[in-house]
Amino acid sequence: MSAGAPGSVAADLLVLGGGLAGAVAALTARERGARVALVRRAPGASALSSGGLGVAWDAEALPGEALRSRRGWLESARRLAARQPEHPYAVLGEALEALPAAVAFTARELGALLAPPLERNRFLATANGAALGCALCQRGMVAGDLLEVPGKLAVADFRGHLGWDSRLVAGGLAAFAALGGPEPVALQLDLFTGPGQGLLRPHELARALEPPGAAEEAGRRLREALPAGAGAALLPPVLGLDPAARVPERLASAAGLPVAELLSDVPSVPGLRLQAALDERLRAAGVELVEGAVERAEGPGEPLLAGGREVTAATWVLATGRFTGGGVVRRGALREPVLGLPVHAGGEDPAGPRLHSRPPAALTQARCFGPQPLLAAGLRVDRDLRPLGEDGRPVHPRLLAAGAVIGGHEPAQDGTGLGVALLTGWLAGRVL
Amino acid sequence: MSSSRLSSLAYLAWRAVGAQPAKRIAQEGTGAERFEKNYAAEGLVPTTDQDRKVAEAASACVACGVCEARCELMAATPHVRALGLHTAFRLYSKSTTELPWAREALRACESCKGCESACPTGVPIGRVIRQLLDRLERLPAPAKAGRREP
Repeated sequence: MSAGAPGSVAADLLVLGGGLAGAVAALTARERGARVALVRRAPGASALSSGGLGVAWDAEALPGEALRSRRGWLESARRLAARQPEHPYAVLGEALEALPAAVAFTARELGALLAPPLERNRFLATANGAALGCALCQRGMVAGDLLEVPGKLAVADFRGHLGWDSRLVAGGLAAFAALGGPEPVALQLDLFTGPGQGLLRPHELARALEPPGAAEEAGRRLREALPAGAGAALLPPVLGLDPAARVPERLASAAGLPVAELLSDVPSVPGLRLQAALDERLRAAGVELVEGAVERAEGPGEPLLAGGREVTAATWVLATGRFTGGGVVRRGALREPVLGLPVHAGGEDPAGPRLHSRPPAALTQARCFGPQPLLAAGLRVDRDLRPLGEDGRPVHPRLLAAGAVIGGHEPAQDGTGLGVALLTGWLAGRVL
Repeated sequence: MSSSRLSSLAYLAWRAVGAQPAKRIAQEGTGAERFEKNYAAEGLVPTTDQDRKVAEAASACVACGVCEARCELMAATPHVRALGLHTAFRLYSKSTTELPWAREALRACESCKGCESACPTGVPIGRVIRQLLDRLERLPAPAKAGRREP
């Protein structure tokens, strides 16, 4: 792929950003035969993933509505688009109907890590005892789908460890028993009870369960602690760093029932797994990886300098994320640091005054479930994903944006973060 | 006006025009020198501009823990835990009086930097570690016999 001066790269498509949106864009374009270079500084916010990939959940469901009668992720996304004209799902228009194809593509590319999607959301438990609807999830989480547990759901934590509380989870999940979920039972495992082990970090626990015999021992302890009638067990999300170690499977066969992980908070072992799976897939697919911060970027067609290498491509996909990934920064004003594109706060009238330089307090509000313009800040794009300039027209015909750098939605609020990433990434990768 | 109020005001007036100016004439050295004299016993040193800059860069940390998983020192010596970012920030946010306890850990950290490329928010972890070591150099020698360095 490299040509010309040593260290320089010529490609058809240049992707900026190493999170899920950038990776899906790169893999989609690779599948279509393009030469792809991906520039990244560090893992993106995808490395903080909970393990579930939310596309959209049924926000219109009534509080007492059974889980099984809730709308699936595609219909939920359509309704979200109809409700929120600023949301990327709405901006994309007809292209939203590509969502099943994008989800299927992501599930196939990351097939070693992700379970195949269903038409409905899987309802997975968080460490706080809530249940979130996820279109995709890691394989080790499937058995925790509240609609698939045959019998009681045993929720386990590690006795004396400070990371998780099974009673909190079981107490929260009890509310879902009336909606078609299982009856949760909290229990504690006598694992990691040695001196100092109560403070082991999640990735240390995950490594400790990988060696031969460790997961089996955990499974035996679980079997001894199980209540009568348990149909599945939920454990903290630390069941191995490497999916090839097959920790959930080994643990399940020793315990004699299906075992699943909770959705993770940060520090997130599932997030590290997702990042590792993306890296592996990008390498295997022959994407040229350029590691390093962008030092000079002028626009598509012009050479970009990053990590001491020059990359030239006629088409660019900006998938640099939002605040965590660094695609949108706040230094006095909200800025897009790579190309200096205009950043809009959520709810901002494109024809009205710019809000990007207002103080943060003016862009947030005290009602925590109300819209937060700061958290929805990002680029505005047209329906072909081209970022819009101050004049409301595309900045460059061959410059696209994908993922959280596109504004107009609050992933923490509506659960569409990785859904937007995989859909916009997939669409951007098909531009060639 | 009550007499207690009157005496309070008289005292304040005396402090403003008498006691404080007299103290200013009597005291020696610059502000920084007096700071060190007064706070050296507590193991504190003045915060420099460089300290402030590093602290600002460090404030980008969102405690996601991605760096920890890549810490080779941590994997090799599990009993010396979380030498990387996590400890550095905990120490940074705490009183520098506890910094000497981390001297060896920070020295071990200094030569590695394996974690810096793992940080999603781009915290210059190596710079933070160097700044902490620099702060250590500036710390006065322990004043009390009871405070023993590790």
